[in-house]
Amino acid sequence: MKLDPRTKLVMVFSLSTLAVFVVDTLLLSIVLIISIIVSNFFKEDWGFLNRARKFILLLVGIAFLQSIFSPSGEILFGIKDFTLLTTGGLAKGIRVILRMLVIIISATIMKGSSPREIIQGLIQWKVPYEIAFMVSLAIRFIPILGQEAKDAFTAIQLRGIEIDKLSLTKRFKVYSYMFMPVLSGVIHRAKELSTSLEARAFRAYPERTSYIKLELSKNDLLIMSASIVFTITMLVIYILLR
Amino acid sequence: MKEVCSSNTFIEVNNVTFSYKKSEIILKNITTSFDKGEFAALIGPNGSGKTTFGKLMTGILSANEGSVFVEGKNIEEISLGNIGKKIGYLFQQPARQLFNPTVKEEIGFAHSFMGKSKEIVEQKVNKIIEEFSLQGLEDASPYRISRGERQRVALASIFINEPSFLILDEPTTGLDIVRKEQLSQLLKSLQPQGIGIIVISHDKDFINKNADRVIELYGGEQHEA
Ligand SMILES: Nc1ncnc2c1ncn2[C@@H]1O[C@H](COP(=O)(O)OP(=O)(O)OP(=O)(O)O)[C@@H](O)[C@H]1O
Ligand SMILES: [Mg+2]
Repeated sequence: MKLDPRTKLVMVFSLSTLAVFVVDTLLLSIVLIISIIVSNFFKEDWGFLNRARKFILLLVGIAFLQSIFSPSGEILFGIKDFTLLTTGGLAKGIRVILRMLVIIISATIMKGSSPREIIQGLIQWKVPYEIAFMVSLAIRFIPILGQEAKDAFTAIQLRGIEIDKLSLTKRFKVYSYMFMPVLSGVIHRAKELSTSLEARAFRAYPERTSYIKLELSKNDLLIMSASIVFTITMLVIYILLR
Repeated sequence: MKEVCSSNTFIEVNNVTFSYKKSEIILKNITTSFDKGEFAALIGPNGSGKTTFGKLMTGILSANEGSVFVEGKNIEEISLGNIGKKIGYLFQQPARQLFNPTVKEEIGFAHSFMGKSKEIVEQKVNKIIEEFSLQGLEDASPYRISRGERQRVALASIFINEPSFLILDEPTTGLDIVRKEQLSQLLKSLQPQGIGIIVISHDKDFINKNADRVIELYGGEQHEA
């Protein structure tokens, strides 16, 4: 089933809204499971989660920090009188991770739509074309900027600079060198892009016609309303339960 | 004179397989080696994996299977910094390897960053600037010079490190006839010093004139001509 990008946007927005507002571990887990099911439905690959293993470290870090600075619940672990880990701290750490996972996983729902489709969706939602176009440029250029920064870092090392053997200040200096090519690339590209836009008569007419026209199918409307109803219900349940 | 390394091999590529995405293998079971003092050319159609192969031999990318050895040592165990001291690598897009505000600083970077004295750096930079006929551009930004000039700045900043092996990804792109001839001469003069060279190129004339050996890549496989 191919869904309209707007439907997907509504789903992502619903799930991440819940992730932000709900503070209850159980409800958060339910939201996470739903995100996983929905995202799986769109057959997104999960390779990125491998890279996200660092989250575990974050969880541990947050759990300890919360326990030390705002202890709550029972003490799980401590040295003499000094509390290191409490149930409250652990729960807070778990909740932060659950939230992050919901946001990241629900965002993968969008991956199946091309940037062009997303923009078209925004335009048909009456977002001004200029803004939608800027969003599309950002989506297109961010990975390129990342690649450029990486290339610069490689190039610096290939001049015979061994990062591991540098002092901290020198290491920072190396990082500062990475911005130069990226920044100059951005400025250069922006200039060329604006020339090219002018040359192709961008905004020559107040109205733009689109080759693609998105239409919401019954399924789209159904899923969209279901997402909204579900989100509101969850929020109401959550507020009543408190 | 004592011979530490009896073999003449500089880079050894052993059964290397590489893919960016699981579904699409770019290089399949490549096995070959490159000697000191050798001039090899790597050719093949667009997208055949030449740049990828070059990056594997510089340690920028890691092989999925098989290994690359540099002077007998597995490349995975050598830091990029150490590889850079031995191998000079020219990016296909030289703009990607320039990161200093002026041409002069760009060329002198490796030396000045490692704390060499101003006089020594200046002396070396001036010599190289002359070699690559970059006089007059010393204070220009590497981003605001012509394509061919930028290419020469990138080459100059590699050569100042006196590498013992060169991997050049399309070094003649953007060079005029005179500069191309000068590059030929320069590379030729390095060979007797035992410096090995791999040139990735589509430039038939340049290859025919200089290369001792031509390797063609297509369909992920190597074909020695
Ligand atoms: N970063 C990357 N991610 C995914 N695929 C890539 C990446 N870089 C290159 N490829 C793909 O790998 C293949 C080989 O690319 P490579 O740049 O090595 O080709 P090439 O032989 O150098 O081509 P050219 O003659 O155009 O320089 C191409 O099909 C390309 O699309
Ligand atoms: Mg290439």
